[in-house]
Amino acid sequence: MMIRHGKTLLSFIGLTLWIVQPVSAAESKTLQIDGSTTVGPLGDAFAEIFKELHPDVSITVKKTGSGDGAAALIDGRCDIAMMSRFMKDKEFQQAVEKGVFPVAHVIAMDGVCVVVHPSNPITELRTEQIRDIYMGKITNWKELGGPDMPIVPVSRDTSSGTYESFHLMVMNNEKMASNVEYVNSNPQAHARVRSTPGAIGYVGIGFLDRYVKTLKIDGIMPTRSTIAKGVYPVSRPLFLFTNGYPKPGSIVHAFCTFYLTEKGQEIIEAKGFVPLTEY
Amino acid sequence: MLWRQIKNIVFTVFCSGSVLLLAAALLFFLVPMIWKGSQAVFFRKTVEFDKMQMELFRRGHPAVLEKITAQTNQARQPALALLDHFSRGVDTTLLSKEARSAYQQFGRHLRYREVSDEEYTRLREEAKDIRDAFLKAVETTDKTEAESFLDLVDAQQNNPSFQDSPFRIVFSLSKDYRQILQDIDLSRRSEYAAELDIVKTEMRKLFGPLPGESVPPLAQDRFGATRWDVAQKHLRYLIYQTKWVPSEQEDHRLIARQIRRDDPEEGIFGKTELAPLFSMVEQNLAAMLQPRPTIYWQYFLDDSTAGHYFGGAGPEILGTLLLTVLSMCFAVPLGVLSAAYLVEYAADGIITRVIRTCINTLAGVPSIVYGLFGLAFFVLMVGKPCILSASLTLGLLVLPVIIRASEEAIRAVPQSYKEASLALGAGKFRTFLTVTLPAAGPGILTGIILSLSRAAGETAPILFAGAVALGPIPNVGLHPKWLFQPTRALSYGCYDITVGDRLAMQVPHNQFGMVMTLILLVLLLNLAAIFLRWRMSRKLQGI
Repeated sequence: MMIRHGKTLLSFIGLTLWIVQPVSAAESKTLQIDGSTTVGPLGDAFAEIFKELHPDVSITVKKTGSGDGAAALIDGRCDIAMMSRFMKDKEFQQAVEKGVFPVAHVIAMDGVCVVVHPSNPITELRTEQIRDIYMGKITNWKELGGPDMPIVPVSRDTSSGTYESFHLMVMNNEKMASNVEYVNSNPQAHARVRSTPGAIGYVGIGFLDRYVKTLKIDGIMPTRSTIAKGVYPVSRPLFLFTNGYPKPGSIVHAFCTFYLTEKGQEIIEAKGFVPLTEY
Repeated sequence: MLWRQIKNIVFTVFCSGSVLLLAAALLFFLVPMIWKGSQAVFFRKTVEFDKMQMELFRRGHPAVLEKITAQTNQARQPALALLDHFSRGVDTTLLSKEARSAYQQFGRHLRYREVSDEEYTRLREEAKDIRDAFLKAVETTDKTEAESFLDLVDAQQNNPSFQDSPFRIVFSLSKDYRQILQDIDLSRRSEYAAELDIVKTEMRKLFGPLPGESVPPLAQDRFGATRWDVAQKHLRYLIYQTKWVPSEQEDHRLIARQIRRDDPEEGIFGKTELAPLFSMVEQNLAAMLQPRPTIYWQYFLDDSTAGHYFGGAGPEILGTLLLTVLSMCFAVPLGVLSAAYLVEYAADGIITRVIRTCINTLAGVPSIVYGLFGLAFFVLMVGKPCILSASLTLGLLVLPVIIRASEEAIRAVPQSYKEASLALGAGKFRTFLTVTLPAAGPGILTGIILSLSRAAGETAPILFAGAVALGPIPNVGLHPKWLFQPTRALSYGCYDITVGDRLAMQVPHNQFGMVMTLILLVLLLNLAAIFLRWRMSRKLQGI
């Protein structure tokens, strides 16, 4: 429960005065986690609890995107890769060639929610309409029964897992038009939609709040139940990937199965994702 | 003559204008950032802040905290009781859970009594019927139906078999619910439920977990509003409901209307018994949270919880200092020696010129290229991303700047100094070490100052080479183990806190605090170096 600042303070003094500090001879266990910015908050939160459960393990969490997570797992730069999409064929191939056998652990469900500015009277869109907006075929809200206002489509950058899910499930792998704005993260997409009356964007379900309006897609609102059941068209699982199934009893195994515990499920809910199991 | 004067004036105006513009731009950028960032350190804390500090950092006086907690709890009690009473009517799960547990306890109670099998079965059946009637009363949205079910329950009230058993709770629950039925419009229950959820969330954000709720696993949910500004924000969210209604103009747009939740006409809870809650919290918020001004200087030492929700930037500051100092340890000797070689030893041939051009080009290479080089070379060389590989990458990044500055400084040392030294019989190397280098010192230091700030602020080179969002605090000592651990750093922390977590959107003071810390750290490093340079040049002048 207690976070020590004493260690930091000591280190400061150590840095300036170079005081000899006793260093334990035993090599402490490390756990390196890398990958998706969407799953990142879960990794952070699990690590917070893990620090209490296993004080001898030093955990590092890095959030550089799903693609980099996969690359890091293949290169052996991390023990666990967080990913908001499944591994691609090419990545699997590379992994196997290097002797790494990726195993997926689904830890939670997420929905990619389409959001607009709250002043927009539109409450519902069909998948084809959203596709047409992002392909540049519909450029004004007037065409959809809204106010006379140009549409500002906002998308995540092409290396993000959220983009991949949207691209596959909504866009049917069609190319986006050149008027689409690309932003680097969920908070940025949220901020752009919040401040622009004509904007439309997509974010993970954890980022919905009072400042943006969530649209129904094909008549279905993204909620806990529609995402858990998979009824919502853009629901997706969130993954942890490991090299082979981790040895039971190892720290990697404990981390990858932590989501099954009651605490793990509570954290998933607290972070705004949808838990898989009933707890 | 006049023309020359005009040109002079124009030149002066333009020069001073650009200086003013620069100063204004600096003010425009730095002042808001430092101002907002300073709110991470100077703010009005609430009792929740003290609780958080006590639990996470073991800081504060338990006795004092206990006293304040008791005072605030007393102030909160009426509001929380009101909320609890009202939610029983809306959130039926609470009541049904209690009825179910009463029935289970009754079963346990019977099992340990000397009753015949027949009696046991009969009592259980009866209790079950009563429980089911109560559950139906709770679930239905029709008031008369609910009352008729409650009548069924109350008919058994005087049944002696239930008098002294745990099951009699059900009758008091029934009485409670009858009371609630008088105040609430059951047909609007689902509407109430959605809004009540928001009210409860905001109450949790203000005062921490509600009474009876279990302790949340994450520190972020374990405390209420730790800061007065945050508390006021959530008070606003608690009281006002934003409704988006069609505007009167013909453009189909919706406009926001703020409606008080307890407004007697339009507010959703205006006609319910929950209405007094809002003004109660509004008027007594200060008593409920006890805000006091504070200086949270430990921000610069404390570790943070996941997503930088609570705590400070201590590990990030330490990491940045380590990276900067270590990278200087690599870059300064190498840079100064190369500069000395280029100026003093190398002949001014084609090769030297090529080398010089290369150095100039390197100084302009984007930092991400260095980052990728660090990943491909240093990380593989050292074995894994860590402090050592990151500072080697940073050292490489600033090397060209240091070489260029040192070269200029060494070249600027008057030839007569060197000649005097050589005439006294000193060798070339000795002359460089004892005469040229000290004289060039201030100039070299300028280069170091420039590169220090750059090394401290760069994100791209350390992104792959050793920076992490969350990791152990380096245990700096003689044992070099800490060199091989990854570290947090301010620059990467600023990036992470902006893009990483939705939580960060809720703690802008910590976002700006991190940025302010980075600016202050760079400023401090610069001031230290400037002071050193001043001392050095004073010594050189023989004062």
